[in-house]
Amino acid sequence: MRAFLAILIALGFLQTGFGAAEPTPKEAPAPAAQKGSVVRVNSTNQAYDFFRPWSKAAPFSRRGLGVLIEGGNILVTAELVANSDYIELERADGGEKTTATVQVIDYEANLAILRSTDLKFLEGMQPLQTTTDVKTGDELSVLQLESNGTPVSTRALVTTVEVGKYALEDSGYLMFRISCPLQFRENSFTLPIVKENKLAGFLMRYDSRSQTIDAISSPVIEHFLVESQHQPYRGFPRAGLGFSPTRDPQFRRYLKLEDTDGGVYVNQVDRSGPAAQAGLKEGDVLVAIDDKQVDPDGNYLHPVYGKLSITHLTTTEAYSGQSVTMTVIRNGERQQLRVELFRRPVEEYAIEPYTIGKHPRYYILGGLVFQELTRQYLREWGANWLKDAPQRLVYYDRFQSDLFPEKRKIVFLTQILPTEDTVGYEQLSNLVVSKLNGRQILSLDDFAEAAKNPVAGYHKLEFEEDPHEIYLDAKQVEEDSAQLQKTYSIPALRHL
Amino acid sequence: MTRRVVLVAIFFIVANAVAQVPKAVEIRKSLVRITATSQEPDYKVPWNPGSMSVGVGAGFVIDGDRIMTNAHVVSNARFIVVEKEDDPQHYPATVQFIGHDCDLAVLRVLDKSFFQNTRSLGLGGIPAIESPVSVYGYPIGGERLSVTRGIISRIDFQTYTHSGIDSHLAVQIDAAINPGNSGGPVMQDGKVVGVAFQGYSGDVAQNVGYMIPTPVIRRFLKDISNGHYDGYVDLSLTYFKLVNPAERHALGLPDNEQGVMVSSVSSAGSSFGVLQQGDVLLTIDNLPIASDGFVQLDGERVEMPEIVERKFKGDKVKCEIWRDKTKRTVEMQLDGNWPYLIQANRYDSPPRFVLFGGLVFQPLSKNFIDAYQIEDMRLRYFYNFFVTDEIYKTHPEVIVLSNILPDPVNAYLSDLRFQIVDDINDRKIRTLEDMAKAFAQKSDYYVIHFVGSARPAVLERSAVEQARDRIIGNYNVQKEQYVEGGLK
Repeated sequence: MRAFLAILIALGFLQTGFGAAEPTPKEAPAPAAQKGSVVRVNSTNQAYDFFRPWSKAAPFSRRGLGVLIEGGNILVTAELVANSDYIELERADGGEKTTATVQVIDYEANLAILRSTDLKFLEGMQPLQTTTDVKTGDELSVLQLESNGTPVSTRALVTTVEVGKYALEDSGYLMFRISCPLQFRENSFTLPIVKENKLAGFLMRYDSRSQTIDAISSPVIEHFLVESQHQPYRGFPRAGLGFSPTRDPQFRRYLKLEDTDGGVYVNQVDRSGPAAQAGLKEGDVLVAIDDKQVDPDGNYLHPVYGKLSITHLTTTEAYSGQSVTMTVIRNGERQQLRVELFRRPVEEYAIEPYTIGKHPRYYILGGLVFQELTRQYLREWGANWLKDAPQRLVYYDRFQSDLFPEKRKIVFLTQILPTEDTVGYEQLSNLVVSKLNGRQILSLDDFAEAAKNPVAGYHKLEFEEDPHEIYLDAKQVEEDSAQLQKTYSIPALRHL
Repeated sequence: MTRRVVLVAIFFIVANAVAQVPKAVEIRKSLVRITATSQEPDYKVPWNPGSMSVGVGAGFVIDGDRIMTNAHVVSNARFIVVEKEDDPQHYPATVQFIGHDCDLAVLRVLDKSFFQNTRSLGLGGIPAIESPVSVYGYPIGGERLSVTRGIISRIDFQTYTHSGIDSHLAVQIDAAINPGNSGGPVMQDGKVVGVAFQGYSGDVAQNVGYMIPTPVIRRFLKDISNGHYDGYVDLSLTYFKLVNPAERHALGLPDNEQGVMVSSVSSAGSSFGVLQQGDVLLTIDNLPIASDGFVQLDGERVEMPEIVERKFKGDKVKCEIWRDKTKRTVEMQLDGNWPYLIQANRYDSPPRFVLFGGLVFQPLSKNFIDAYQIEDMRLRYFYNFFVTDEIYKTHPEVIVLSNILPDPVNAYLSDLRFQIVDDINDRKIRTLEDMAKAFAQKSDYYVIHFVGSARPAVLERSAVEQARDRIIGNYNVQKEQYVEGGLK
């Protein structure tokens, strides 16, 4: 939830920054054509409480603007409807309401497509086309609605086009940085940005001090719209490699690189990613992707946007299932490797980088609560989770691709619900389970299986850390489970 | 000098001092005012001599013309002066023995005439809870002795903040203990029952002071009696209380509330090869260990490690254990456990480092962590889990690229700061000595690989040689390396 909260705070600034509500000269009534393309979206969201995985946290609502696109769907940011229980559409002109459901959502690209439950509701509205013809220096308009439904548009200037961080910390996509004096209005979550009546982007973050918008760019929106037609939705691909610059002349001489070669040093290859499958190795120097030359900083020359990170080529220009040719220099020899791009589903990660809109898995055995480790769990420690959350678990998350190359999950004891069975164990928490009843535990399913077979009447739990082993009386646990559930008002003792 | 202590109102101390005049007259012959000029090493600029400071503490005369005080009063000292109450003269003194793990030190005075008309103090036992004691010293640096009174509030294990990692028996008293009290005697019935050494700042807790009790003092004096301080020994294991009935039954133990389970055994410690995870310790030196880890010693219930606390390097300890549902007897020869020292404050030794091509390499340590703000997850993991995950087996020292003195030779390496060195020219780096040796080897390139996936740093010998005098001159580098004195 943290990434989303950060944006909420940014909007809070917006509110205080514009508290005095001075007239803003650059605002103008929106052109008529736009009036019929924007709809209010009110979403009531409720995230799971990862400390108490059987319950949800308090619901809260978010309001934003959605854009009608081809096919009668509404496009919004994913943040607006993340963990949504209930989505309401509201006509800008009349104020009529209906409900909507999420059709496709991509938390990494921060986009979602909604479908109205009442198709007649959108009648008379005009779908908006997108445009990718957006350059540094272009003038755009940010659309908002007054509380009475009157559309307002604010002039905005594109200052930078670059690959930047989206809502989740490890996803970077093409972003428009836009300078704009924006007034806070109630529907500030998700604002469409248009150029000549075409959708150019979505407001993702606004910093009221520098008056800067970070916007989801239209190439990312187009990619999402195209990919959303595919069944199943495959996501934005990733090459699965990390690189560092080769500007250092000593480093270049050591790598035997000519000055004309350009290229970046591949310092990390995800073991189950596309680059690894294509045979890329750490130590390769990546000099070209298809016909695009890679400079020593990892940029290439884009015909419209100028210098851009090569990340854009493998995440947005290309689609999942497509291939690119990577030219590398290895031991002084040039080699071409065909890399078939894909996005590894987050469910396949040992530690899910985000868990949104999903019921966390858990298993309660005699008052001991077990979960599969997710980053969402670590985020529950708050803004400083990197320092405040259990350090071993944070380390596991950060270096998971090195530490857990095999397909597995990290099952751990999160907390104890004290009962007679847990006397002496009250202080134990955040311990990674290695075995239960002699069986190696690589997932909560393994755990559930192993729990069926206590040894000589006892569950033997083994942890990676102190105290390394504890025991439960299997029969006693069985007998006490109904009472445990009742005492702590837990709807179910497991969710797998 | 005790950093944790904050000043309280002075009139309290004065008022108490007046009330204690009769006793104070006698203590004048034993109390010593110690002024130490010390140099605190600068881990960010390790070749610098460090910043100077002057501190005042207390001490007292013990048998053999010696002065006892706290280690932290004379740590990193360059010059020490001692004074007596009724003598205007300043006498230079030196540290004869210092125990950083128990925060005690013994000083010698060069001029033997210092001890004329002094009276050495004898050691008493552990005072009873609620019994009164008097604390003597020079709180907040005053010229004249001060005394405060209080009662014994609690006796238990406490972390000794001087090393930051050692826990020993400590006695809590409600007398005011302030900076300058450090090292002063705590008296009862004319005998020393403790050495005042630490307290809390006023915003944490009030009227809470701690003294080092006599079992710790006696142990220190006995340890140094052979002319060398070996320090504390340790079983080097962790244990888990066996109070859960199911756990006891599963292990086949009777319900007699006896025994704790060994959770882990450090492979660098005394119990390695003798005890193993899962063993149940039933007795230690024939004393039954209760299921909560306590033993009955001299009529007191104390935690099991207290048995080992009183022993010395090379001493043996005998345990009855329960393994594979049978009883056995094992014996361990006791020694220290060096890996844990990575997390202990280090004194009286210069920071260790190697400088090469403007790159500063330092071993990971408590002082290092305190000097730098470490955000790097891997480095934090290596520090926090050095002992528990036995990182010392592959990295007896964790060598970090800690700083870069900017120069053309290293202009492109700044993103590699705080990386951990893995190898140089494919030779594994396990210690700082390995580092110095690798750079001393003639090679056209020095290729430094780091732990994890960072790119290597490449330095050309010719470029390093050209840069050397420039870097030394620009940054006033007084020494290019100091590698002696590793933990192991």
